[in-house]
Amino acid sequence: MDASRRGFVQFLLRGATLVGAVAVAWKASASRIFREILPARSIAPGNQRWVMVIDLAKCDGCRDCTRACNQMHFVPPLQEWIRVYEVSDNPAAGSYWLARPCMHCDNPPCVRGCPVGATFKRTDGIVMQDNDRCIGCRNCIAQCPYSARAFNWGEPPHTPEELAQPYAMEQMYPHRKGTVEKCGFCPHMLREGKLAVCASQFTMGAVYFGDELEDAVTNSKGETIQFSKIAKRGAGFRLMEELGTEPRVYYLPPASRKYPSPDEKNSAGLVPIGIEGRG
Amino acid sequence: METREQNLLRSVFETSWRYYLWLTFLGGVLVLGLVAYIHQLRQGLVVTGLRDQVSWGLYITNFVFFIGISHAGTLISAILRVTDAGWRQPITRMAEAITVFALCIGAPMVIVDMGRPDRLLYIFRHGRIQSPIVWDVLSISTYLMGCVLYFFIPMIPDLALLAERPGIAPWRRWLYRKLALGWTGTKEQKRLLEKAISVMAIIIIPLAVSVHTVVSWIFAMTLRPGWDSSIFGPYFVIGAIYSGAAAVIFSMWVLRRIFRLEDYVQPMHFRNLGLLLLSFSLLYLYFNINEYLTAGYKLEGMERQLISRLFVGEYAWAFWSVQAIGVFIPLLLMLTVLTWKRYQEFLVPGVVLASACVVVGAWAKRYLIIIPTLQTPFLPPREAAAVQYHPTWVEWSITAAAVAGFLMIYSLLLKLFPIVSLWETREAESGEAEAVSEPQPTVARPPRWWKPGPVGLTGLLLALGLLITPHAEATKKAAPRPPKPAVITVEWRAVAPEKVPPEELASQPGSRVFLYSGRLIDPLRWLHNWGEAEERPTPAIEVLATMRDASGAPISFKPMDFALRTSFGTLSFGSRPTNDQGQAKLMVRDRRLGEYPLLAGFRGDNEYAAVQQQIRVNFGARPAPALPRVGVLITPYATPAIGVPFLFFYGLMWVVFAYAFGYLILYRMRRAGKTSEPRAPAR
Repeated sequence: MDASRRGFVQFLLRGATLVGAVAVAWKASASRIFREILPARSIAPGNQRWVMVIDLAKCDGCRDCTRACNQMHFVPPLQEWIRVYEVSDNPAAGSYWLARPCMHCDNPPCVRGCPVGATFKRTDGIVMQDNDRCIGCRNCIAQCPYSARAFNWGEPPHTPEELAQPYAMEQMYPHRKGTVEKCGFCPHMLREGKLAVCASQFTMGAVYFGDELEDAVTNSKGETIQFSKIAKRGAGFRLMEELGTEPRVYYLPPASRKYPSPDEKNSAGLVPIGIEGRG
Repeated sequence: METREQNLLRSVFETSWRYYLWLTFLGGVLVLGLVAYIHQLRQGLVVTGLRDQVSWGLYITNFVFFIGISHAGTLISAILRVTDAGWRQPITRMAEAITVFALCIGAPMVIVDMGRPDRLLYIFRHGRIQSPIVWDVLSISTYLMGCVLYFFIPMIPDLALLAERPGIAPWRRWLYRKLALGWTGTKEQKRLLEKAISVMAIIIIPLAVSVHTVVSWIFAMTLRPGWDSSIFGPYFVIGAIYSGAAAVIFSMWVLRRIFRLEDYVQPMHFRNLGLLLLSFSLLYLYFNINEYLTAGYKLEGMERQLISRLFVGEYAWAFWSVQAIGVFIPLLLMLTVLTWKRYQEFLVPGVVLASACVVVGAWAKRYLIIIPTLQTPFLPPREAAAVQYHPTWVEWSITAAAVAGFLMIYSLLLKLFPIVSLWETREAESGEAEAVSEPQPTVARPPRWWKPGPVGLTGLLLALGLLITPHAEATKKAAPRPPKPAVITVEWRAVAPEKVPPEELASQPGSRVFLYSGRLIDPLRWLHNWGEAEERPTPAIEVLATMRDASGAPISFKPMDFALRTSFGTLSFGSRPTNDQGQAKLMVRDRRLGEYPLLAGFRGDNEYAAVQQQIRVNFGARPAPALPRVGVLITPYATPAIGVPFLFFYGLMWVVFAYAFGYLILYRMRRAGKTSEPRAPAR
């Protein structure tokens, strides 16, 4: 090849043509190599987008939701799939109760990080946990900023009722050693057209549950409210919005509270209800 | 056999009682670790100090530490080979050995940490390329393969030499002969061997850099304070080379003392590697300052808790001593013995002591990277004690066994393979090193092609849905006698989104602001398509309920209640009065899709009886079931954007391995040995 300027330009052109050809070939074949087909288990039984709204003004920290959840799912001791925190953002602002289920994020860090797809996003927005597949690497626990995941460090204590049925992903028990557990928005209840247990047996009525596409959420007292309206008017927020996880759980601020705040409760000499492990 | 080789092979063929004592000791520790692991397998990870808050502990610390140690060996050897540093020959084998053995110990530490090791193969069966764990499996297995080859290929001539040695056990002779792959030392074979080594040396450098970057990504790909850092990749790579170089120096010193290799491993080697270690300690210091100053200056959110924990809190003592032992003391020590003429006689012990400090500090630093971050969750733990982490005897035993296992493999293979390259040192001594032609495989990143995300059909489906006109059917209700019966007829129609008042439009994307942002004329729109949240126009539904009495006359000025049946309850819209034509109008502008029963009812009064009418209202078609588009990495299938770079990079590595070992060594070199070319003089 001649070392002239023209030769060099030709050399560059040839290179550019090659790169272009590879790019075109790739563009044409990429969709064939990477087939973007959803597996059956990612497709939810119904076409909904589940959403939860927790009205912090109505939460008095009674932990009935935690208890109902623990009972229904036979949650192993030391785990709480919906945990009630006593939060105070800064010393000046008063404290409040904050119930934290799994956020079922639309951009879930746990699903991103799972090496085997044991946790995956369903089309109805639920982040499912498949303990037939979990390898127990606990990357999801490291990934979750809401600490919503727990691990069965040892063999969880079983009850006969729990073991009565075989493991089902939607039912989330019997629990197994060496796998990760978390709240699943009660998919087996939703399948039957019932509310998630924390919204259906919770006496305070602070937890609303519903379908975002339906634009309505319902609580344990049968109060149905328009989701977009309360989110807008009530200045609804999501936890740690800045992390970009896009949670499906919305909170209404604890403004004009209906119950005493944790501070008031403590100062009134009422002993806050401790976290009881399930016996 | 020359004295030179006698000396070098002493490590292989001379075994003292102390060696067996050493092996017994290591074996004991290994048995302890095995007992601990069996205990853990039976009881589960509950026997460790790990709990939900601190869910990664000593095992992951060991994993990162050993992978770090594995770095320097190969990297130093490769860099010295590529730059053709003449003094490298006596130490390359030791360095490469450390890499291979550390990898053999480091990689299984993750399996020890797994809750369900029985499901290990799921990583291959159900592996998701989006997960940093899978990146790790991919990169570490590639690296292990590369390191074994890079350790083995330069050893081939030595193995052939050993196979010819008189008076060795028959199994050894058989093994060496098999492993020598028909090496007879012809010129052609030598050329091919040098070529294969060069190819491996070049390819192993980007591979080694990628491996520790990927290890750091396990942490950096999370949102946790202290891990969520963009410099974690290079920080870990530098830290790994730093600790690895120290390990190489330390092992050099140990082997030199045990096998009296003073003639081969000279102070010059300690000085050169010491200078390398010194420069890496400065780099490591630089990265440490970068990492902690940026967090400590801003004290943002959770970082503040982490930093105070490390700088002044419960970890202050550990943190500052680790910084001293791992960085400052080795730095000062090496600066003194390497640059100050007066203290140059302490060169070897000084550098070795510094390396020992670095290795210990490196392990502790890994611990301080992992555990305090996990103890600083975004949401407070249930109780303060829940974040405490006290490793149990099981974890310590397995950690001890990991170190023992490393030393055990080292000790055993010392008896099998010469620890100093015989043929390379010989060439260096006789000064007949041949010029090596080095092919330059270009490591180009593949062009990235993002597939445009699926086009939102929502608008189209919505328009179709709005065209469907439902029909209302009236049913009469038996009315009690005193109040007259009333009849409600309900009809609804969709108001086209254009008719929605402009003040509502302004808040939506698709408005002026959206237009001016240049999206419409953006040629790369398809690229950032996936980042957009799903948007749909708000449909407006007008419901008209007419109430008439039995004769058909409109009933005016009565409240009409409207409600919607939803999955779990009834959403009330309140009531609207009927006008003089008996019509009550309800405008619904909710962000709702799908078909629902809408109830229009009159509660009844003295005049008219209560009546209710139901109609199905279609708010527009629901979007097809799909995963949310905001999370591009959450898909159960691999997408090209994430799949191609990883598969290309590591695939390229395997192709090069196949070329260097499969083609050059196994195929060409073996054949070259069988040809009738005259054998080169034995030595």
